[in-house]
Amino acid sequence: MSVVAVDGGDLPLGGGLLALLRPSLSLLRPGGQLALISSAPSVAQDLPAWCRVEHHEYLGADPLPDGRASHRIVRGSLGVARAPLDGGLSLPERADPATGFAPRGAAVEPGGPVYPFTLVERDHVVPPEVGALYEQAVSSQWVAARDIPWGTVKPLPVALEQALSQTMTFLAENELSALYVPSNFLPKIHPAYAEVAMFLATQLNDESRHIEVFLRRARAGGGGLGISSVTTSQSLLSLLELRDFTEAAFLLSVLGEGTFLDLLKFVERFAPDEATLLLTQKARADESRHVHFGLAHVRHALRRDASLYGRLEAAVRRRAATMASAAGVPAPVSDALTILAAGGSDPRGVRKGHEAYRELLETMHENRMKRLEHAGFSPEQAKTLSDLHTPNFM
Amino acid sequence: MSDSTILVGAVAYDPKAVTIWEGIREHYSDQGVAMDFVLFSNYERQVESLLQGHIDVAWNTPLAHARVRRRTQNQSVSLGMRDSDRDFRAKIVVRRAAGIKSIQDLAGRTLAVGSRDSTQARILPLQFLRKAGIDLGKLKLLAFDTDVGKHGDTGTSELEVLKALHDGRADAGAVGDLIWVLEQAAGRVDAAKVEVLWTTPPFDHCMFDAAPGAPKEKLERFQKGLFSMKWENPKHRRVLELEGLKMWMAPREEGYASLHEALDLEEKK
Repeated sequence: MSVVAVDGGDLPLGGGLLALLRPSLSLLRPGGQLALISSAPSVAQDLPAWCRVEHHEYLGADPLPDGRASHRIVRGSLGVARAPLDGGLSLPERADPATGFAPRGAAVEPGGPVYPFTLVERDHVVPPEVGALYEQAVSSQWVAARDIPWGTVKPLPVALEQALSQTMTFLAENELSALYVPSNFLPKIHPAYAEVAMFLATQLNDESRHIEVFLRRARAGGGGLGISSVTTSQSLLSLLELRDFTEAAFLLSVLGEGTFLDLLKFVERFAPDEATLLLTQKARADESRHVHFGLAHVRHALRRDASLYGRLEAAVRRRAATMASAAGVPAPVSDALTILAAGGSDPRGVRKGHEAYRELLETMHENRMKRLEHAGFSPEQAKTLSDLHTPNFM
Repeated sequence: MSDSTILVGAVAYDPKAVTIWEGIREHYSDQGVAMDFVLFSNYERQVESLLQGHIDVAWNTPLAHARVRRRTQNQSVSLGMRDSDRDFRAKIVVRRAAGIKSIQDLAGRTLAVGSRDSTQARILPLQFLRKAGIDLGKLKLLAFDTDVGKHGDTGTSELEVLKALHDGRADAGAVGDLIWVLEQAAGRVDAAKVEVLWTTPPFDHCMFDAAPGAPKEKLERFQKGLFSMKWENPKHRRVLELEGLKMWMAPREEGYASLHEALDLEEKK
C-alpha cells in the first residue's frame, strides 16, 4: 500500500486545500492511503463530507504533538485514470473511441463520451514511415507567390496557350478532388494516430497550393480556363464516394497520384517557360511524397491482412464498371497534351507531339505496374489492375 | 395498476428532471423493461398519487418518504436510494467575524435557515441543535422559504443561506453538507469570511417508495434495472451525474429516525 503525506498548512477545504489534496490523491492507486497534515480545525468537519461525495474513505484524524492533525484518507476506485507509463510514445494496437481528443499518453478519466472515430486499428491506419514523411512534408513547404518566377510567363502562340490552359485546368480539377477525398477520412482517424491526420493535413495544404499555381498559370495567358469533361467528373466522383480509407489511399494516391507523377513530368519536359517548369516540378515533388505515403499505407496494410488484395482489386473493378461508358482519355486533355508536346500547331511538330503522348500513356502503364508490384501485388495482378485504371489518370 | 409498464413519479424541481428521467427510461428500455415517468410539481401531490395507486413508484425526499411510512403504518415498500443519500449531514456554518466558537454561542444570534420543508437546511439541523441542548427560542431565525413543495431539492434556500452569511445578514446558517462541499470545491465560498462550526449526526436522504401491496414482480423489475446502472458506462454516467450519485444502493430505514422524531414533535404541537 502506498502512503503519501500532504502538508495542508492552515488552508480550509474551500480555501485552496483541494488544489493540494486532489493531485496527490490522483497519484495513488485505489486503496492507497494519504495523510493530510493540517492545522485548520474546520478540515476535520469538511474533509469527511468531501470524501463521501468523491467516494474516498475518510479514516479519521490523529493528533500530532505540535497540535496539528493528521487526517487519513484511502483513495476510492471511482473515476480512476492512469496514464500509460511510456508517456504515449508507443501506438496502441487498437484505439478506444472513448478517449476522444485526449492526446496519446494522457490519463483519461473513464466514463467519457464515445467519439465517432472509425479508423481505430493501428495496422490499418498508420504506416511506419509516417513520422519521416511528415517531417519531410513540413520542411518542403513552398509558397506559390514567392517561389515561382511568374515574370517568365510570356505570350505564347494561341494554340499552345490554349493547350497549356487546358492542361492546367485539368490538373486543377484533379487536385481539387485530391483536396476533398482525404478530407473525408481525416475526422474518422482516431487521435491516437494523430501523426496520420497531421500528414494528411500537409497533403491537403499541398493540394491547395497546387490548385492555386495551376489556376494562376492557366489564367496568366489571358485566354481563360479550358474544358471540364464528363469523364473527368465521373472519375473524380467515384473517388469522392469511397468510404474505406485504405481503398481511397490505393485508388487516389497509389494509382491516381502515381499516374499523375508521369503526367507532371511530361508537362515539365515540354514546359514553355520557367514558371511552368518550376511549378510542375515542385508539384511533382509533393505528389511523389503523397504516392510514397499511399504506397506505405497499402503495403503495410497488405502485409497484415491478406484479404485486402481481393478487396482492393474489387474496388478497382467497381470503379472501372462505373467508368465503362468512358471511351478513353478526355479528348480536350489528349489534344492539349499533344499540342503541348508539339510546341504549337505545326503539323510536323504535332506528329512528334502525338508520339510523345502515346509514349506517355505507355510510361504511365509501366510505372503503375511497378508501383503495384512495389505495393505487394503479383505481376499478373499488377497488369490487370493497371489496365482497369481510369482513363482520366486520377 | 394493471398495465405492465412501471410508472414512476418524480418532482420536476429543475428542467434537468426531464433529461434525467428520459435517460433513465431509455436505460430501462435498453433492458427490455417498459418504464415511464410522471412529473409532479410538488411532493405532496406525488405522495397522494402514490397512496391512491396512480403511480407504482415515487422518487421521494426524506420528508416525503417519512410521510409515506407514517401514512402506511410502515407498510410501504422502500426500493432503493443513491449512495449520496446515505449518511447525509447538515452543517452549521458561521461568519468568521461573528466570533461564534461553539453552538452555545448561537443564543441571541441570527441563524439563517432554508425552506420549511427542507430536511437538510431546516428541519434536521434545528432538530439536532435542539437535541444538543440549544434553546431554539433564543435564536433569531432568518428563514428562506423558497420553492416550498420541492422539499429543498432546488438548493436555492441553501444558496440564500450562504449568501446571507457572506453579506453579513446572518451570523450563522444551516446547509446540507453536499451543497457546502460542492460550493467550496467550486470555489464559491470565501473561506476568509465563512467557515464551518458544527456538523450534525448523519441522516439519510431520498428514497424510491412503493405503496403497500404494489405488484412484487413489477417492483423487482424496477430494482433490477436501477441497480444495473454503472458509473463506468458513459450513457449511464450522464444520468447519474445529473442525479448526483455514483451508484444506487439498497434501501435502509434507520437513517430516517431523527426525521421521525422531528415529525413526532411537530405533531404534538
